[in-house]
Amino acid sequence: MRKMKMLTMVVSLLVITSMLAACGGNNSGTAEKDSNKGADTSTIKLVMWGGVPPESGPQEVVDNWNAANADIQVEYVRYVNDDDGNLKLDTALLTGQSIDLYVSYTMSNIQKRVDAGVALDLTSRLGEYNIDEKMGPDAKLWQLDGTYYGMPTKKNASFVALNQNALEKANLKIPKEWTWDEYKEYAKILNQDFDYGLVQSTVSFMDPLDSVLENIGYTKADGSSNMDNEYTVKWLEISNEMMTVDKSTPTLGEQLTSKMPVENMFLGGEAAMLSIGEWLIRSSNNLDEYPRDFKIAFAPIPRLLENSEDFITSGGLGDFISVNAKSKNQDAAWKFLQWYADGGMAPMAAGGRLPSSKDMDASVALDNLLGDKANTYDVDSLKYVLFEDTTPTFVRNLAQEVIDLRTQEYEKYFLGGQNAQDAAANMAKHHNKFINK
Amino acid sequence: MKTSKVIELIEIRKVIMTVIMLFFGILMIVPFLWMLSTSLKSPSEVFIYPIKWIPEAFNFSHHIRIWSGDHSFVTYYLNSLKVSIASTIGAVFLSALAAYGFARIEFKGRNTLFMVYLSMMMIPPQVLFVPKFLMFDWIGIYNTHWALILPGMFTIFGVFMMRQFFMSVPYEISEAAFIDGAGHVRIFFHLILPLAKPALATLAIIDFSWHWNDYENALVFLIDNSLYTVPLGLQTFILENTVDYNGMMAAASAGILPMIIIFILGQRYIVQGISNSAVKG
Amino acid sequence: MIITIQERWGMMMNKNWMRRQQRLGYLFIGPNMLGVLLFFIIPAFYSLYLVFTDYQFMKPDKNFVGLANIERLLHDELFYTAMLNTVIFLLAVPISIGLAFVVATVLNQSVYFKKLLRGLYFLPYITSGVAIAFVWMLLFQPNQGPINGFLRSIGIANPPGWLSTIETSMFAIDIIWVWFMLGYNMIIYLAALQEISSELLEAARIDGANRWQTIRKIIFPLVSPTTFLLLITGLIMTVKTFGIIQAITQGGPGNSTTILSLFVYQHAFRYYDMSYAATISWALFIFILVITMIQWWGQKRWVHY
Repeated sequence: MRKMKMLTMVVSLLVITSMLAACGGNNSGTAEKDSNKGADTSTIKLVMWGGVPPESGPQEVVDNWNAANADIQVEYVRYVNDDDGNLKLDTALLTGQSIDLYVSYTMSNIQKRVDAGVALDLTSRLGEYNIDEKMGPDAKLWQLDGTYYGMPTKKNASFVALNQNALEKANLKIPKEWTWDEYKEYAKILNQDFDYGLVQSTVSFMDPLDSVLENIGYTKADGSSNMDNEYTVKWLEISNEMMTVDKSTPTLGEQLTSKMPVENMFLGGEAAMLSIGEWLIRSSNNLDEYPRDFKIAFAPIPRLLENSEDFITSGGLGDFISVNAKSKNQDAAWKFLQWYADGGMAPMAAGGRLPSSKDMDASVALDNLLGDKANTYDVDSLKYVLFEDTTPTFVRNLAQEVIDLRTQEYEKYFLGGQNAQDAAANMAKHHNKFINK
Repeated sequence: MKTSKVIELIEIRKVIMTVIMLFFGILMIVPFLWMLSTSLKSPSEVFIYPIKWIPEAFNFSHHIRIWSGDHSFVTYYLNSLKVSIASTIGAVFLSALAAYGFARIEFKGRNTLFMVYLSMMMIPPQVLFVPKFLMFDWIGIYNTHWALILPGMFTIFGVFMMRQFFMSVPYEISEAAFIDGAGHVRIFFHLILPLAKPALATLAIIDFSWHWNDYENALVFLIDNSLYTVPLGLQTFILENTVDYNGMMAAASAGILPMIIIFILGQRYIVQGISNSAVKG
Repeated sequence: MIITIQERWGMMMNKNWMRRQQRLGYLFIGPNMLGVLLFFIIPAFYSLYLVFTDYQFMKPDKNFVGLANIERLLHDELFYTAMLNTVIFLLAVPISIGLAFVVATVLNQSVYFKKLLRGLYFLPYITSGVAIAFVWMLLFQPNQGPINGFLRSIGIANPPGWLSTIETSMFAIDIIWVWFMLGYNMIIYLAALQEISSELLEAARIDGANRWQTIRKIIFPLVSPTTFLLLITGLIMTVKTFGIIQAITQGGPGNSTTILSLFVYQHAFRYYDMSYAATISWALFIFILVITMIQWWGQKRWVHY
């Protein structure tokens, strides 16, 4: 009897252990099968990961490609472009999941992927496709150590969207260049008829700081941080006055903790100006969900520096697409990437993505961007900020940790936790610590 | 006459207490009511202040759209059910087994081992991620549901809780069985386990809710969309620069349903179950 | 108790059989032990090893750096801020337990719809995630949110800014956490209360004890082991939590809601600095261990078995 029980026990244990073993074996088997599928047959199967929801263009892009290229079929997988989503992509890349192409959205993300050896060095392939020539001088901003580990495919645009009706009513011009003082004045005047004269997307919030640093340098001559420069203090104080004295823009605390939907506010007529980027077009074209009775005009981002010649504005190129260095189908992936950059990506325009390749005609791109809604925009001013404005641009290239620490300091300032000088000094302190690490 | 008056007084107090508790109880579920109401709103109504508790027009399109389409929540739901049920069954059984060992069998090193167990409860899970990730990749269960189920079958809290319960079961019961010649295996399966049904149900409910809501592990260990669980599916409502709150709330309110069913099924067990395990500390 | 039983067994049974039975202990624990070893202990040791390296996730090589990470931690201002925030966060645990005790005693006595009410109070615990985080953000909205709307309507002209100010944000998080944990604590208390015999309470009433005295002198001591259990597990669970804060404030505004576990998360999953994340984790481990030990020693004063 006792022995019987003993036996049951042992058997049940064995069952558990074998179950553990079995599931391990089983699944790795299927995984292998999956990844070999492409190699077995004559059709090459590519997988591309990007942060744009498929219905905002990517699905149409790959459908177009797949219809024309029976031998290379592309599948688009969407990842959420936040910390969690990037972690997911990175672990997938590290474990050698079948990913052939992927999009990186920040310099710090692509840097990590290059470190991990999962971004293909394109140097030897530039003969087939000269990135510098096709994408223009801004492409160089995405080089790491002088090497292309992928290529930027879209034009970034930062601008201030304006409620044109309100502007006309207040007798204000659409600026082609302006300073923060003028910006503040506009907001104050426009504030009379709106909840807010200005709302800013959190993405573009810190651009003024980097805009100045790009010009005067992130570090001083002695190698220490330059973040405590006078313009940092100036930006902090002007913004703070707008929040607390003019009340022409929401206080940062309120904006952050209520996840203020700045696009809705602007399109819904609660705010007269909106500092944002080209992705606004996707919502502003959608008149069913965001009905509006005004035209949208566009102005460049204002500058902190006095001289317009010194101004460098946020922009450059984006959507940096790399070929996975571990991909078995690098040639096919590279072929697809060229097609994508040279116009294949056109369906993405409805989501605000302008191709950066010079093969794409500006007016065609603009048509794609605005579709049949062009009459709800002031197209001239849009053309100006997108194509005609010759202000040099930058792409932020700062370690995430430094960005975060800087953000914490200005948040503390805007919430009354410290004065502007201390905030600037603390930013520099954190930055110095990082430089010396 | 007198007694009926007393009864009346008690009744009135009961009614008042019920009303007060009901009031606060409804306050407790205000966030859920909002979730539900948002899932029936149109996108432009989401952010309107003062909050609209009852949408202007009931809009069921969000509920409909999450259940249809290529990657509808049906898949995520089934995946979640599969992972949660498998993990929970495993966790409850293995916890009970180990807890019996810790609570009812004197063996060498038992107390030290238990202290090790307890201290493992205190390690932040984020830091175990890299070694787990390397391990799963190595055994080949990365990007399979096993990466969730396998570790999910081991819960230290479960061992702790079941141990407390087993310790409170009178020792005379096993003693009598011993005299009859039964060993631990038989006592466990035939005596203690049936007695522990309430505690097992309690652990099952708590454990199930953890697995059902587990986002972090699913995020890191699952790659294929077809394997996604509900919490991961909710992420698809995060668009590029905005969030589709209507869809998210529709999916999230549907996501609570299985938990409510499990809670209702297990409710009577919960009270009995935890009582035995907790009282003796 | 155990020893006397053993002695009796010794008398009654063959010693060899006894020893075999004891050895069965390992078999009972074995399967679970295997998992705990694989998924907790080995990873834990690995993370301890990382403390002494400069391992960055995605970087293929790592070097031995000695105590550099620990030194960095001790000089990291944010670490101390996070520690303080964690302490404030932990305040939610006793408050939630206290409230749960009140709710449970009331629900245990004379109310109608017991099952429904239990369900209402338990509901917050069985859900979690982004959706709920977002609702709380709206409820706490300083100017137009319903919470401050209510406060203004009862005459408070300047209600707190809740999540939007540095001074109050951690307390707003506390409120959310109390709300979340209340149902869990309540249900366990309810269970403990079932165990108190009604004769005992009846006897107290006959002796002339009023309601408050009954609660203080009889009910509270009788459920003290439960309170102790809730306190220990509640503090451990709370100190490890970061998801809800990550969803609501990401540690801000400023760094006013960066608690230690979120600090770990940021370094591990945002900066990929795994070695530093491991270092913070072990500091967090020591922090919980100390709190747990203090409670363990302190229990003699108020826990009655």
